[in-house]
Amino acid sequence: MIKQIREYAALPGGFGIIVGVSMFLSISILGFARPLLIPYAPDELIGDGLAAPSWDHPFGLDQLGRDVLSRTLAAVPADIGVAFLGVSIPLFIGTVIGILLAFAKNRVFLSLVGSIIDGINAFPLLIIAIAMVTFLGPGLFNVVIVLALMNWARYARISRTRATIVLRENYVEAARLMGYPRRRIIFKHVTPNVSSETLAYALSDFILVIVIISGLSFLGLGARPPAAEWGSMIADGRVFLGEAWWITVFPGIALCWSAISISLIVEGLSRRDRAN
Amino acid sequence: MTKVLAEIRDLRIDVRVTRRLRLRIVDTASLVINKGQLLGLIGESGSGKTMLCRALVGTLNRRGAYIQSGSIDFEGIDLVNASKKDWRSIRGHKIGYIPQSALAGPNPVMRIGAQLAEAVTQRGRKSKDEVRRRSLELLELVQIRRPEVVLKQYPYELSGGMKQRVMIACAIAQNPKLIVADEPTTGLDVTVQAEIMELLSKIRKEFDTSIILVSHDLQLINSICDDIVVMHAGATIEKLPSSKVTSALHPYTHALYDSRIDLVEPRGKLRTIKGQPPSVGKWPTGCRFADRCDFVKDVCRSTDPAPFMQVDDSQWSACIRHKEIYGGAK
Amino acid sequence: MSNYLIEAKSLSVTFNSYGFEVPAVREVDFYLDKREVVGVVGESGSGKSTFARVLAGLQVPTSGEVTFKGENIFRGQQAYPGELRKAVQMVFQDPYSSLNPRMRIINAVTEAVIHHQAASRKDAKEIAHNLLRRMGISATDASKYPNALSGGQRQRASVARALSAQPEVLLADEPTSAIDQSAQSQLLELFAELIASGLSVVLVSHDLGVIRYLCDRVYVMESGLFVESGITKDIFQSPKDSYTQKLIASIPK
Repeated sequence: MIKQIREYAALPGGFGIIVGVSMFLSISILGFARPLLIPYAPDELIGDGLAAPSWDHPFGLDQLGRDVLSRTLAAVPADIGVAFLGVSIPLFIGTVIGILLAFAKNRVFLSLVGSIIDGINAFPLLIIAIAMVTFLGPGLFNVVIVLALMNWARYARISRTRATIVLRENYVEAARLMGYPRRRIIFKHVTPNVSSETLAYALSDFILVIVIISGLSFLGLGARPPAAEWGSMIADGRVFLGEAWWITVFPGIALCWSAISISLIVEGLSRRDRAN
Repeated sequence: MTKVLAEIRDLRIDVRVTRRLRLRIVDTASLVINKGQLLGLIGESGSGKTMLCRALVGTLNRRGAYIQSGSIDFEGIDLVNASKKDWRSIRGHKIGYIPQSALAGPNPVMRIGAQLAEAVTQRGRKSKDEVRRRSLELLELVQIRRPEVVLKQYPYELSGGMKQRVMIACAIAQNPKLIVADEPTTGLDVTVQAEIMELLSKIRKEFDTSIILVSHDLQLINSICDDIVVMHAGATIEKLPSSKVTSALHPYTHALYDSRIDLVEPRGKLRTIKGQPPSVGKWPTGCRFADRCDFVKDVCRSTDPAPFMQVDDSQWSACIRHKEIYGGAK
Repeated sequence: MSNYLIEAKSLSVTFNSYGFEVPAVREVDFYLDKREVVGVVGESGSGKSTFARVLAGLQVPTSGEVTFKGENIFRGQQAYPGELRKAVQMVFQDPYSSLNPRMRIINAVTEAVIHHQAASRKDAKEIAHNLLRRMGISATDASKYPNALSGGQRQRASVARALSAQPEVLLADEPTSAIDQSAQSQLLELFAELIASGLSVVLVSHDLGVIRYLCDRVYVMESGLFVESGITKDIFQSPKDSYTQKLIASIPK
């Protein structure tokens, strides 16, 4: 097993991918296994607030006396889990819509939908997210809704471009020549070749979505207290930065750790592509 | 006064794939090109012929490739150790390059006139009139009709053949002594190919330019080149005058010649070269053609590296058994 | 009622590009007899690929008709309806896009065998392996993805897939243009074998050497028209049309 890992790491990009995956898995597993690992609940008021890191509480206590380590890990389902939803839903919707568009023949319909997609894509996701959440009201659930409503367009754009190309490729024509039913062509030939690109985008998007979730929460528009979430923890800890740096810093590190892990994977994959 | 223009000796080129992995892609290549000579360089893909061209034009580093050992002497200049600054005065001025038509061509966002102007002005200051005059002159040289119109056009308005002529015009703009043409007609129609070949011959005759013509098409090389250098799996394995191609001294050259389909009657048995050339990084020791050779003996695999030997003043061969198989040069 | 395997009468294909009418194929007549190998030679822009695609049923003609064994191959926009679809198959020029990059070779061919020969998955896989082996692709290579194989191997895999339909006619659009010299010879030898065992072939190419090697008859195409046609030997030895003469003269000697 170690040998296989070593071999993989020697390949172009391999090292980055392995480190990235390890980092991501470690924080995700720790996060979801928190109830089994950490004796303190994330909202349990333990002792005096602003206690410095100690053996009992490696990340210290926050201003309300809650264990920061417990809260940091408890935020994983919120940040990483919600990010997962916030990426996979638009990924699915966008890919499907893109493929459907590639099959469409009606010029008017295509222009219309195309313009809508371009219109949505013209806005930076974070700005639109802020605007819509202000409208819908705070809460992680609303954040997911906003992402689903808005982010699909980016995937649709990629999916549609790719699908149009794929439809012209010889192997799809060959499939038609073989007489395969259209359904088979779409599912077995077109979709896998389109989703390889949308999945690649989804990976990078993941980072952006984590940042959006934390960003919105930081502004008070996402997760609502007392929910544990890195962005809101960072916001809460801001005023205590001088005396109790651990309240802000540890969630911050967790956030960076997650983003960097995915970045490493993306970078490793692109290196591998380039080498080929 | 020597007639040798450039000499490549025992060249080895490596490429850096990852920080730790290095692949040897040329090992070893030697060739000599004389003034005014049209030399054909033939090989299958993976033979290293493109890398050899890049070494001659100094563009190896862009792909992470570098010369590991060997020498390239061009008119007394050492090209292996030439600095970036040296190359700027050599590339375009002394050595011109014509790329493969399908892969590179005129810059798609520049008008032809602008592209030519770049090639014409290189490192010199010329007045606008001079540039225009020279550009038109070049376009006429490469037999482009209505050159004044073409100067204002963008590449997408031109056919493949015309674009390639423009590339040739850029290559000869500074009257280089040597032109390296890397598969200039691959992908072009056969009538266009014939015209471009005629053009290259004409340029060679009029300006006494040496040309290295790279191709995988033996028929083409045979019909137009004075001499042929054959490459296989990163090594130059034979050099011979094109008139002597039927009495080649290496089994690979013979196999290449024999596999021409115009020699066979319709649907007759084709003489194919069995197997595939060994892939880069997996080269066997000794002669790399051994596994595909009809005359292979143990000594072929144990003599490593297979030496490139001079047989007479116009023929070289890397086959150590050529005397036994073919009985010496004719 | 046509006696020929494939016949095209007054076939035209005109494309409409941004308001411009581009005639790719202009009223051509063509026929392919049983057990014949017919070539269509022309340079880029001649319309030969478009013509091949019409014969394959991938392109609907603007006017004219194409018949297979006397029956029109087009019913509305659909070509070769039903079982007829198996009879005419095609191999394309670019080996890099002819096979689904996300599908292993063996699966791509097995899929075709299941569809055409209604065999069980297990039987189909064996038939596919045999077919690929006949094409010179070993079982080890067959289980790889297309990007692990060379261009020549990919072309042969495409031929295997086409043959799984047990077609009567194979259309080949520049099958050797994008591959190495040695792979070309191997592919051509394969074609010669298939022809010897009864396959009729329409070969579209710009390579005169390949045309001369494989074809009984040749049509010379220029700018959408057939400027000359006849028996291969005659065309090569005494070309009558000036364009044909120019083509023959450009072959390097």
